[in-house]
Parts: sequence; structure tokens; C-alpha cells
Amino acid sequence: MYAFDFVRPKSLNEAVEALQPEEAMALGGGQTLIPTLKQRLASPSKLVSLKGVEEIRGICRDDQGRVCIGGGTTHAEVAAGVPEYPALAALAANIGDPAVRNRGTIGGSLANNDPSACYPAAALASGATIVTNTREIAADDYFEGMFMTALEEGEIITEVRFPVPQAANYQKFEQPASRFALVGVFVAKFEDGVRVAVTGASEEGVFRWTEAEEALSSNFSPDAVQGLSVPAEGMIGDLHGSPEYRAHLVGVMTRRAVAAAG
Amino acid sequence: MTVAKPLPHDAAARHVDGSARYVDDIPVPAGTLHLCFGCARISRGRVTAVDLGPVRAAEGVIAVLTADDLPFDNDVAPVAHDEPLLSDGTVHYAGQPLFLVVAESHLQARRAARRAEISYEEETPILTVEQALAADSRFEEGPRVYGRGDVEAALATAPLVTEGEIEIGGQEHFYLEGQAALALPQEGGDMIVHASSQHPTEIQHKVADALGLPMHAVRVEVRRMGGGFGGKESQGNALAVACAVAARATGRPCKMRYDRDDDFTITGKRHPFVIRYRAGHDAEGRLLAVDFRQFAVCGWSQDLSLAVADRAMLHADNAYWIPTVRIESHRLKTNHQSHTAFRGFGGPQGMVGIERVLDHVAHRVGRDPAEVRRLNYYAEAEEGALSAPLGGSAASPPEDISAKKKDLQERRVTPYGQVVEDFILGGMTERLLETSGYHVRRARVAEWNARNEVIKRGLAFTPVKFGISFTLTHLNQAGALVHVYQDGSVALNHGGTEMGQGLFQKVAQVAAQVFGLPMAAVRITATDTAKVPNTSATAASSGSDLNGMAVRLACEEIAGRMAAFLAERHQAKPTEVRFRESRVEVGAESYSFAEAAKACWMGRVSLSATGYYRTPDISWDRIRGEGRPFFYFAYGAVVSEVAVDTLTGEYRILRADILHDAGSSLNPAIDRGQVEGGYVQGAGWLTTEELVWDDAGRLRTHAPSTYKIPAASDAPEVFEVNFWQAENRAETIHRSKAVGEPPLMLGISVLMALSDAVAACGPGYPALDAPATPERVLAAIRRVRGAA
Ligand SMILES: Cc1cc2nc3c(=O)[nH]c(=O)nc-3n(C[C@H](O)[C@H](O)[C@H](O)COP(=O)(O)OP(=O)(O)OC[C@H]3O[C@@H](n4cnc5c(N)ncnc54)[C@H](O)[C@@H]3O)c2cc1C
Repeated sequence: MYAFDFVRPKSLNEAVEALQPEEAMALGGGQTLIPTLKQRLASPSKLVSLKGVEEIRGICRDDQGRVCIGGGTTHAEVAAGVPEYPALAALAANIGDPAVRNRGTIGGSLANNDPSACYPAAALASGATIVTNTREIAADDYFEGMFMTALEEGEIITEVRFPVPQAANYQKFEQPASRFALVGVFVAKFEDGVRVAVTGASEEGVFRWTEAEEALSSNFSPDAVQGLSVPAEGMIGDLHGSPEYRAHLVGVMTRRAVAAAG
Repeated sequence: MTVAKPLPHDAAARHVDGSARYVDDIPVPAGTLHLCFGCARISRGRVTAVDLGPVRAAEGVIAVLTADDLPFDNDVAPVAHDEPLLSDGTVHYAGQPLFLVVAESHLQARRAARRAEISYEEETPILTVEQALAADSRFEEGPRVYGRGDVEAALATAPLVTEGEIEIGGQEHFYLEGQAALALPQEGGDMIVHASSQHPTEIQHKVADALGLPMHAVRVEVRRMGGGFGGKESQGNALAVACAVAARATGRPCKMRYDRDDDFTITGKRHPFVIRYRAGHDAEGRLLAVDFRQFAVCGWSQDLSLAVADRAMLHADNAYWIPTVRIESHRLKTNHQSHTAFRGFGGPQGMVGIERVLDHVAHRVGRDPAEVRRLNYYAEAEEGALSAPLGGSAASPPEDISAKKKDLQERRVTPYGQVVEDFILGGMTERLLETSGYHVRRARVAEWNARNEVIKRGLAFTPVKFGISFTLTHLNQAGALVHVYQDGSVALNHGGTEMGQGLFQKVAQVAAQVFGLPMAAVRITATDTAKVPNTSATAASSGSDLNGMAVRLACEEIAGRMAAFLAERHQAKPTEVRFRESRVEVGAESYSFAEAAKACWMGRVSLSATGYYRTPDISWDRIRGEGRPFFYFAYGAVVSEVAVDTLTGEYRILRADILHDAGSSLNPAIDRGQVEGGYVQGAGWLTTEELVWDDAGRLRTHAPSTYKIPAASDAPEVFEVNFWQAENRAETIHRSKAVGEPPLMLGISVLMALSDAVAACGPGYPALDAPATPERVLAAIRRVRGAA
């Protein structure tokens, strides 16, 4: 770790202010950032902890019936706090281990956009809106490839608004050692159509599998996607799985998710 | 009776409450320094330039040592003197120690080590069996070959020949406590070393050589290890020698422990193998001839590889009599970590080879694999024949019976000429197949598989026959030192080391038994080269066999002296003196053990004795591959059931039924722990534990985030472990059997059960490689379907 300053603002305004210098970084639960610092892969001059910013924590519903989750809300709080969106609660409940879930936050996860992370799939499949201190960003415009997002320097995720689908499910094929997603598929069925988001698989990060969405929108059953597959090209190949295996799993996980969503 | 009781591990409570002390927990004197290696980043080549200036300038750094700074021998090899502590400029693997940082703190040493600037001239590394063969890169002049008969001729006439190949991955030891050592310099240049080591005498030897001292100037103490599994037989030498050399150079205590990633990167693992086979057999699956070619990936230095590869050859038969057999073993030198001992010591790889053959043959002839296995068993030992020597002088039986006997006798001979006199797997198999409901479940599995497209089940029975003794005959010896104090308390010491396996408790039970004392009266003390010299590694499952015997002999010596003294005092015979329930009885007289001890002391009777034991009846010629390397065999049998998801290749172990042979167990609770743990560790090796080296020879799986060992939740939900309650036919300590390594090989049944499940998907043979990761299982499913 390199040396850095540490501040713990009490309000969003103070946090935004503290993040002004170019080398300042927000600290959520630290579950990704702290290991990154330890490996000296990042060298912020200042860490701005968001833990004290109460206004970006907690869960509520807006008048469109959306589940609105504060950017500083932990995975454990989401797991326990969104009974009306069981697929999202289940996803949160299965991230990492209790220590990770009690520290890690939804804002941190979405800001980081790890290609194997779970939340990006939920946000994209739900058509969520990522709210920051300056604007609202549709999930479709937010994810820009592995570890890349539409966030500007110093921009803070304050809230994530999830429309609640009629039916949804997340299926995660775990890399057995770390339990991150080797492939994860989130399927969400809305009145106006089905959205399918895939994480863990692509070198471009989370993506929507539009072919499956079309098939499922006209027939929401595993059979509808039986014959479909994604090409292995562009899938991640690493020590845990080949591109071919990942591509294969996308199909299987999608069918599983549809079957489980009912 | 303290022996045979299921007492908990002597330190169980301490393990749980945290008060069990490991090397890193020892309070160190003020001024203790901390060490870290700077390691090579390439896998093969030469160091062309080294700038250690930034390392020396780093905060807290006291000294930086290179090969040139070592005062005497630069070697930490256990056998061949081919393993420099610090590289002489040649790099043999990515992770090889190049220099040693000595700093005020562990973290400072680590930080400083990273600051070295090193340039290399890289060469193309040898990383695969093919590359090693092409370069003729090997240990020993050529392959070793053991066997009997003309295999080519037998294969040529065999009704069926089944051939194939299996790749078997290595395995990281993943002891919970990483490698660690602490050296405390003494007056006059002497050195005391605390090490997390299975082999204190070797540490003593290597440290003495590195310091240019006789062995008497070095004392090594090992209280316990947090797991060893063979990984601390030779791999701890580097840390202990580094600490000793640095302690000598600085005059301050020096401590070193590997960070987990460093431990993965620097130390050797279980040898990966490739095994090719051609098996001649009949339509029933009876083996007529087998030709094995075993390729052991040994890594860069010899370490214990020759003995490991020998043992793989010696277990290429497992439980089966193979009339004509040839085993060719290649020990390949590669640019990997130097692979080393790991629970089973090559035996598991050899055994996977033959179990794979039987699985393949059974599939080919379309018979139940358990039946095919039984068909090929060695001849069962005769009832009651307690290790009767061969060619006993019984009155000669009639002609036909004697012909049958001759046939049976022939069916007892291993490829290396040892007669299997104690084969009990026939009986064990019969019992296990019954108690596990094998035949009913086999039908149920078939029915399930006929009805279910997606989830397929698999069932497999596999036996284990494991040879007990070091194959290096001279290692089969042990010493003990026992003191009885005047208050009746007993302290005992022996050459074995405690690594969680429960050796200390078992041996203490043996001592308590001799004196008729409760366990609390017996104190187990740390292994110490100053108390018992010239010990062997605690390895080859031999800990209790060897040290238990040595301790018993020492205790009996003292008890004998006490009995003689007390008998004389009461005009009784020494043989009439009884030690039981904390009392010593002489005729009508009865003393508490403490009173007896005090009386003996007052009567000037020595209450301290050494014990010494060597295994009888063994001899072995490893070049010719002939002799009797093993004192006896330990057996085990298991039925495993798995479920496989044919869409993804994922699987789960549903149930395991084990019947294991621990002879007359010294401690059934501890032995059960060994059996359960062995099975799970063996299953982990063959399923989820995947080591991945990249094309440059760097190990990419070097932490628990990338390398998956089984957790408690990976053990089968139904886990039935029972013991075959029968005495060891060989005269071992209380007729018990060694139980450290054999159960690991019970895990092979999981690989075979997966093979069975995959075989339910199509007509082809699965030919599963290990570890059978979900991706490999899925590929096998496609193969068997494609064979339609
Ligand atoms: C052992 C382990 C297992 C894990 N398993 C999984 C898993 O299975 N699935 C999964 O999805 N994840 C997993 N994770 C990652 C975990 O979910 C992290 O918590 C998450 O990725 C990051 O959240 P955080 O709050 O800890 O962010 P931090 O680590 O604090 O920050 C990460 C990044 O986000 C930025 N940031 C943080 N908060 C905000 C905000 N509100 N607005 C803008 N930027 C912000 C930081 O500046 C930093 O760049 C695992 C982590 C560990 C350690």
C-alpha cells in the first residue's frame, strides 16, 4: 500500500467536495479497493469513506413501485431488505461470504464493474437506473466494458432504482475457489418483454443477450432458448474455464434461470 | 486399557482455543530479525545482472545475502545435493530463491525483497512430459523397469487389449500452518532451531552443513505442525538453513515464514503424472498382462522423486494379481517447483493407473466394475495364518491340494516379488458391498439414469492395498527416551513429529498402557534432536508403528527395572509384579505408582531409558525391483455415489461407505479422523484441486481464491466409516496398522464414480483425466455421446 489520507465525511455534499482532487477515491466497503491498494494497483492521494454518509444508505420504494437502494447499502442489507424482489435478494445473499456481504456495497460493486461480479447483471437485466450526485444513468448506458463505466471522476452512486419484474431469477455458476461468477445470468420478465443479462463470461463485461430476450419475450420457457447459443469468440478464457465452456454455460444458466423464474 | 480407546487428540482443546503453539507463536527474544526470499520471476535461464542496492536501502533491512555470502555448503536438498539454497545464477523455476533479505520485521523484509532489479537471459522452459522426453531431461540414466514375464508376448495372445492414457494432476499440500522456522544463536556458534518440519534430523543435518558445524552443535525442536502431508519432509530445509545462516551472520535470532502465495510458489507439490497403459484381458475382464508407462513430472531438483516414483511403481498393481506385467517409470526433470512427498508418496498415482485400467476393462467387457475388480484380486490370506513365513514346514499335502496351493501361492506374488501374505480384501469387499447395499443401489442408479436425462448418477467401488514401510530400508528405525520421575509422572520423547495426525496421543496411550497409568500421568514432549538422535522423517505412515514400538520398549525397560526391584523387596518374582490402575502390585502388597517410583529412586534404580526399534523382515533392491519392501499391507474399501449435471459437468458426492483396516486400532477416534480426512483430501486431489502453470512456467493458482481444496461442506452428506476389526497379522504395536496415508486413496472411488455417471450418457468410454473439473466432465460427456 502507498500512503494516503483518509477522510470520513458525514454528508453527500462533503463527500463530493472531498472527492474533488483528481487523486481522491471513494471508499465503499473496501472489499475490492483495499486488496487493490495492498497490491499497489491503485495509488489514491486520499480515500473518502462513504460509510458515514447516511443519506446514501437504506432501501425504499418510489411511486413507480421501484425498489430504490442507496449506493452505500451493503449486500447483507439488500439480502434482507427487498422481499418484493426475491431474485435480487437472493443474488445479494450469495455474494462472497458474510464478511464481504457485511462490508461490500451495491455502489462499490457497480462502480467497480468487475467482469465476474453479480450486481451488474441484476442492474442491466432489471433496466435499473443508476443515480449519482449529478445525474441519472440508465443501466443500458452505464456499463462500458470490463471495469469501465459511465461514471466521471469523483461521481458518487447515491442510489440504484430497480423496476420490479413480474418474474426473475439469477443463476450463478461459481468458480469453486473464489465463488465469483464463472458465468452468471439474470433473467427478468416485465410486462413489455424479457431482459437477459450475462456476467462473468464476456471480455466486454456484462452484456444483454438480445437473441434470448427476443425468444423469451414471445415464449417465456426454457424451450424457447433451447437451440440458442452465444459464440465462444469474445468470451473469457482463463485458468478457470475456456471460452467454449463459458459460452456453453451461458445457454445452460439462461435456461435454468427461466425455469426457476417460472 | 488406555490403548484402543477413542480418546480425543491430546491438543484438541488447544487447537480450538488457540493456545496450541506453532513456530510463529513462540515468543521471540528482543532483536529477532525476519527473513524473506527474493525469488526468480522466470522459469529457466540465467541471471545476467542483479542490483540489490534498492533492497539494501529499504527501511529496516539489516542484510541481504546471496549465494556468495554463504559461509559453507549452499545446499538444502534432502538426497542428491542438487538444490542450492540460493541460486548460483542459474534459474530452474519461477519462484526459485535468488537472495535472502534480513530485516527488522516480516513486512519490511517482504517489501524490500520486491525492490531488487534483476535481468535475465531466458531459455525455453521444459514444462510438459513431451518436452522433457524430447530433451531427454530426466533423473537417473533412463527409465526404471519392474515386472515379470514377457508382456509383449502376453498382449499378442490376449483375447482383448484395452489401451489408454490418463493425466493426473499434482496437488498443493495446503497445510493450514505455512512453512516456518526460527533460529536462536547460542554461545560458541551453536544453533537451536524451531522448525515446522516432519524431519528434524534432516533440518539438523542441513543446518550443520550450512554452518560448517558437527551435528551435535545444532539442536532442532518441533512441538507440532499445523499439517504437513509430506510437504514438510524436505521443503522446510530452506527456511531453517536461511534462518541459521542469517543468525550466524548477524548474531541475532532469525525467523522466517512464507506468506501463502510464496509457499505455493516456492515449494514442491504432489507429482503430476501421465500414465499410459495397455491391458490384455479376457471377455470376463480377467487381466492377463498389463504394460504401464508412468511419467512423473519431478520439477527441477531430485528431492525425493526417485522414491516417490518407485512407490508409484510398487502400487501399479494395487489389489490385483497381474500374471504378466511391465512397469516403466520415467522421472522427468522439468522447470517447475521440485515436487516432493505428499500423503501416499507416489502410491496414489500408481493406484489411479491400475484403477483406471480396471474401470476401462470393465466398461469394455460390459460387466460390473466391482465384479471385475474382485475377479482380479490377489488370493485371500488363509484363516488364522498369522504372517506365517513362506515355505513353512507343514507336512506335505496330497498332490491335487498342493497343486491348488501352488496356484494360490502364485496369486499372492506382486510384480516385485513380495508375497502378499495378509490379503483380506476379499472379505472386506464382501462385507462392504453388503453393508453399503451396493447391488441394490447399482440397480437403482441404472433405473435413475434410464429415467433422467439431465442428472446422471454414478456408483463405484474401489479397494486400497497400501504397502507399509519406507522403501529405503534403513529409514525403518526409531528411538525413544522415557523418564519416570520420583513423583510417578512420566515424560516421553520419540523421533516422531506431531502434525495433527494424533501420533503423540497414540504413543502416549502405549506408554500409559505399559505403566497402567491414566493419560494425565504421561507428558508428551516436543520432538528434539538432542533427546532422540538420527530419526527418520515422520512419513510413510510409519509414525505410530515405529515410535510406538520404540516407546513401548523403553517403558518396558523401566517397568522391568521397577518390577525387579520391588519383587526382590517382597520375595516375589518380577513377572508377578503388576502395573494397573495407577498401582503397582507385588504379591499382596500394593503401591501407588508414585510410591513405587519413589521407592525405586530411593533404591537407586534408574528410571530413565531409551528404546530402539527397527522393522524386521524387510529388504529391497530398488534397481532390480525385487525383495520385500513392505512389512505388511494396510487395506481399505469404499463405495462412492455421485450425481453429475450433464448440462454443465457439475457434480456432488452423495454418499460414501468406507470399510477401513486399521488393524487393532490404537485409537479409533483418531483413526476415524484420518480416514475421513484422507478420503476427502483424495477426492479433492482428483476433482477440484487444479494446479495451473502458464506457458512461461509460472504457477497461476497460488492462493485459496484460485485453488480449491475441499471444505467441510464438500464431504458427502452420508459418510459411513467403519473399521474392519481384525488384528494386524504382522507383529506391530498392539497389532495396529498404519493409517496416515492409505485412506487418501479411498478418494479414487470418486473419480471412478464420476466415470460411471459419465458412462451413462453414451456408448463411449469416458477416459476422464484428473482433476475431473466440471469442464473436463462435460468434455467427457460429449466424448461418450460422440462415440455413438
Ligand atoms: C472474498 C470475496 C468474494 C467476493 N465474491 C463476490 C461475488 O461472488 N460476487 C460479486 O459480485 N462480488 C463479489 N465480491 C466483491 C464484493 O461484492 C465487493 O464488495 C464489491 O465488488 C465492491 O464493493 P465495495 O463497497 O467493497 O467497494 P470498494 O472496494 O470500497 O470500492 C470499489 C470501487 O468502487 C468505488 N466506489 C465505492 N463506492 C462507490 C460509490 N458509492 N460511488 C462511486 N464509486 C464507488 C471505489 O472508489 C472503488 O473504485 C467479493 C469480494 C471478496 C473480497
